[in-house]
Amino acid sequence: MFIQQMINGITLGSTYALTAIGYTMVFGILELVNFSHGTVYMFGAFICLMLMTVLGLNFFLAFGISIVLTGILGIAIDRIALLPLRKRNAPKVTALISTIGVSIFIQNLVMVLWGSETKNFPRVIATKHIQFESFRISHLQVIILATSLILMIGLTFLIKKTKIGKAMRATAQNIHVAKLMGINVDFVISFTFFLGATLATVAGVMVGMYYQSVDPMMGFMAGLKAFSAAVLGGIGILPGAVLGGLLIGVSETIAAGYIHSGYRDAIAFGILIAVLLIKPTGLLGKEVQKKV
Amino acid sequence: MNKKITILLSLLLALGLFVTGCGNTNTSVQSSSEVVVAVAAPLTGDYAQYGNAFKMATELKAREINEAGGINGKTLKLAFYDDKNDAKEAANIAQRLVDDKNILGVIGNFSSSASLAAASVYEAGGLVQFSPTSSHSDFTKQGNYMFRNINTQAIEAPMAANMVVNEMGKEKIAVIYINNDWGITAKDNFINAVNDIGGTIIAEESFIGGQTQDFTSILTKINGVKPDVIFVAAFYSETGMIAQQLQQLGYDYPLAGLSALYNEELIKLAGDTVEGLFLTTNFFPSDSDELVNNFLNNFKEAYGQDPDQFAAVAYDTLGMLAKAIEIAGEDRAAIRDELAKIANYEGVTGNTTFNENRDVIKTMRILQIQDGKFKLFK
Repeated sequence: MFIQQMINGITLGSTYALTAIGYTMVFGILELVNFSHGTVYMFGAFICLMLMTVLGLNFFLAFGISIVLTGILGIAIDRIALLPLRKRNAPKVTALISTIGVSIFIQNLVMVLWGSETKNFPRVIATKHIQFESFRISHLQVIILATSLILMIGLTFLIKKTKIGKAMRATAQNIHVAKLMGINVDFVISFTFFLGATLATVAGVMVGMYYQSVDPMMGFMAGLKAFSAAVLGGIGILPGAVLGGLLIGVSETIAAGYIHSGYRDAIAFGILIAVLLIKPTGLLGKEVQKKV
Repeated sequence: MNKKITILLSLLLALGLFVTGCGNTNTSVQSSSEVVVAVAAPLTGDYAQYGNAFKMATELKAREINEAGGINGKTLKLAFYDDKNDAKEAANIAQRLVDDKNILGVIGNFSSSASLAAASVYEAGGLVQFSPTSSHSDFTKQGNYMFRNINTQAIEAPMAANMVVNEMGKEKIAVIYINNDWGITAKDNFINAVNDIGGTIIAEESFIGGQTQDFTSILTKINGVKPDVIFVAAFYSETGMIAQQLQQLGYDYPLAGLSALYNEELIKLAGDTVEGLFLTTNFFPSDSDELVNNFLNNFKEAYGQDPDQFAAVAYDTLGMLAKAIEIAGEDRAAIRDELAKIANYEGVTGNTTFNENRDVIKTMRILQIQDGKFKLFK
């Protein structure tokens, strides 16, 4: 039973990790907690579902289109709700509240367009599993974990080795100086939002497949957990997002499995608070000089 | 300090008395050609599907009443208010409706939480609050103007206990319940009844509605105690996930639940994983009953879909309220008294009479999901 619980926890954790990567990336570049990320994750899953059920597209095509459409939504969020604020040098907290507004808007838009009830996500991958003596691992669980690891490695490569990655890091260091050095800062930010939104779509679709259901409220708690995962691992640090996601998923599962299901969130968030009290930069975070 | 609070409180009280005083003297001043009934339900937000079931069913009933000549020659008009299933919103709407002298009665709210929050306002304003679906036992205890058209969990949950222990023949029961007003009363009543009739509860697990999607950890834990059946006091969306995750984990336990599960979406959502599930219900579209048959056909013609039990109770709720208005005329207090007197109302959810607490006792039936359809078991 313990091993089965660990597997449950790791799968749950890797869905958080997938979402947390998007959070941590936008924060890394803009120092902005993008609270619309959870809703974008829900939106991605819904678009994919609608392309499959309404237009009858096959899964991979629908998945591809939904990634692009949601990516464009990510850019639109930045252009409509955040860019005007940046232009006016508004404080960061204004942008944060703006993302909350965007998130409520998108959530209600989805409800108006497609109704608020929970919808069935078609079974794309047959529910096969590897059976061991006392526990089993489903193929989907392996896929989810592998996807989040691959994305993490790919992103690390993108940020460390490519030109756009360099521009992203420069923008993260100091947005004004980066602009003076000839970096198209607005493009870099748009690209970051595009990337964050596509990752959220991957996460949303994976979770939709895993639970075989999507609903307009699915982004709220997932967003909160993913944000916590990003903070726990050290916000702005990619491997931190994955580590944090796994830790929250496992601690939540263990809490529900061995203590009481009513305390699952309390214990998961309690661990988060405890870690932050001891190491405020998060598990993998380094002490950095605050920007002035 | 205390003195200030006392003065403030007495001022508030005086204001309250003044407002309610106005409310009582000014009813039935308008004599237009319309009779207005309000419907307060979640038309947007997380629970909009239930509010929309109310809307469709009450509009259908209002049209039927108007086609048959209206209420005492006047047209029945519905005014819809969206409470988003939010307690604060429900109370705000209640205040507006109480102040609007054209409103003769209110159908709503959907959930027990929203209904309870609004009840004191309706009671103070002397306006009938007739909830089709609030099953929390405290709801009608809030005052004389509260009515409901569904069995309380004090009635339904013991029936479900009987279904699990006697019809399904299961002894060791694991319970999963949604952690809200409704879920907790349902669970408590169920567990008490199971203990009375000789079953044993061997596990009790809760979850937060609308937030928890992952049930694997509690299902793995339940698998550790090997129950004969898992009883779910939850709505269809989470029950669907529970059923699917049971299958993914490779566990095979029969499931049972309450009338809240009676929704076609459950089968769409969970497919063959809910096959064999037992549930209690207030309403089942049976072909033998002409009244039910007409309702089914008219509903399908109007909206292109089958009505669920939420639509059915809302349809009957408006029918009963309209009947009370017809007898009482346009006076809020008289409408309340006439509504309380209604006996043997023949509706699509069966024969309805209020008891002294303005609760109903409706016969319930048992359904089972067989071959991907809800079938009458008993």
